[in-house]
Amino acid sequence: MNCKQIENQLIDYLDKNLDISTYQKIDLHLKSCENCTIALQELKSVFKAINETPEEIPDNSLKVNFEEMLQKEKVALESSKVVSLHGKKNIWKTALQIAATITLIVSAYFYGKTQQDESFSQEIAVLEKEKKEMKQTMTISLIENESASKRLQAVNYAEEFEQPGNEILKALINKMHHDDHINVRLAAAEALAKFSNSEMVRNALINALEREQDPSMQIELIQILVSIEEKRAVPSMEKLLQNEETPSYVRDQVKIGLPNLI
Amino acid sequence: MKNLTDEELMILVSNGNLDMMSVLFERYHTRIFNFLLKMTRDRDVSQDITQEVFYKAIKYRASYKKGKFSSWIYTIARNIFSDHYQKQKVAAQRLDDIEYKTESEDTYTAEKSEIKEQLDRALEQLNESDRELVIMNRYQKIKYQEIAEITNSTAGAVKTKVHRAIHKLKDYYLQNT
Repeated sequence: MNCKQIENQLIDYLDKNLDISTYQKIDLHLKSCENCTIALQELKSVFKAINETPEEIPDNSLKVNFEEMLQKEKVALESSKVVSLHGKKNIWKTALQIAATITLIVSAYFYGKTQQDESFSQEIAVLEKEKKEMKQTMTISLIENESASKRLQAVNYAEEFEQPGNEILKALINKMHHDDHINVRLAAAEALAKFSNSEMVRNALINALEREQDPSMQIELIQILVSIEEKRAVPSMEKLLQNEETPSYVRDQVKIGLPNLI
Repeated sequence: MKNLTDEELMILVSNGNLDMMSVLFERYHTRIFNFLLKMTRDRDVSQDITQEVFYKAIKYRASYKKGKFSSWIYTIARNIFSDHYQKQKVAAQRLDDIEYKTESEDTYTAEKSEIKEQLDRALEQLNESDRELVIMNRYQKIKYQEIAEITNSTAGAVKTKVHRAIHKLKDYYLQNT
């Protein structure tokens, strides 16, 4: 540790807020460094001055005023209790009135509902279907947009579909493999992870790991493949482990994930 | 009653047993008063605010939600203090007026040691939030975690800020000697 780092820890040192090894390191440093020893002495003198500041005692009037205020509040509380006791009969009447109103509203609602329910739900179903189709079309057109943030938005839309059509999945896979922007690719991979019950998606993810060069994508893919328990990804993970050029943190990720698959 | 924790007492208060507030007053009023005194350097204002803190604590007893009582009462004290401060700014109190007040404060406690005076001067050179953190952590001995609860922050952030403030205080203090 250099002097700057030592100085930053001197308060914790005085507060005895450090683990033993750090404490000893600082001790050792202080023995040989005059500047830090001076800094420590200065801090000590400030703390000493603070600790020797006597506590001031407020005037007795503070307590007297407090007691007086407390008595007033107690009286106020008592009288409010009395009022509420008088009002008790009325409360029952009001409660019954409210209950009757609620019953009326609820029964009216159900009567209306049974009358309209069928045609209404059909209409809704048609609307829902149209909305879904529109969203899919919109997503597919957005996903080819020039702006990376628009594409990212589209990928996020795609993620919201419960059962997206093959067209959407293909577009997502395409984005995961080929988008210029790493964030779009990461988001696409993440979105695909949600649809891992599709065989096409699984194959695409395995393929992607085999070909991927970018470390952050590799990490994302490893995490996804481990979480969906895809055993077919084991060979490409082992390949990553053996490859000299694989960064160590990617290798670590493989080491963490691999035991879960085997 | 003396054996109950602050929190147990406050729950009793919020259930309508207002007398229990006297026990809490005994336990806390000097600390709160000293906190405010360091912040305002004005005995009268600090006593008024302390009084108001306990008034609000009774009035808003229902809003106490079983957290640490000390954090709750300090939160109230801070709010009233900053309201007061705000009002003072609006009233645009003349500078020499404040000056006069601190001076009379000094003569009031004539036996004040030179060291304490230097320290107070250094404390006054800090900005308000640094000053508050130093007062809470070093004078009032409130732990980082609890300060975080009072100021709506995290223990880590509070610790960093407190340490920075202490180093500033130290520099001002040594400059003044």
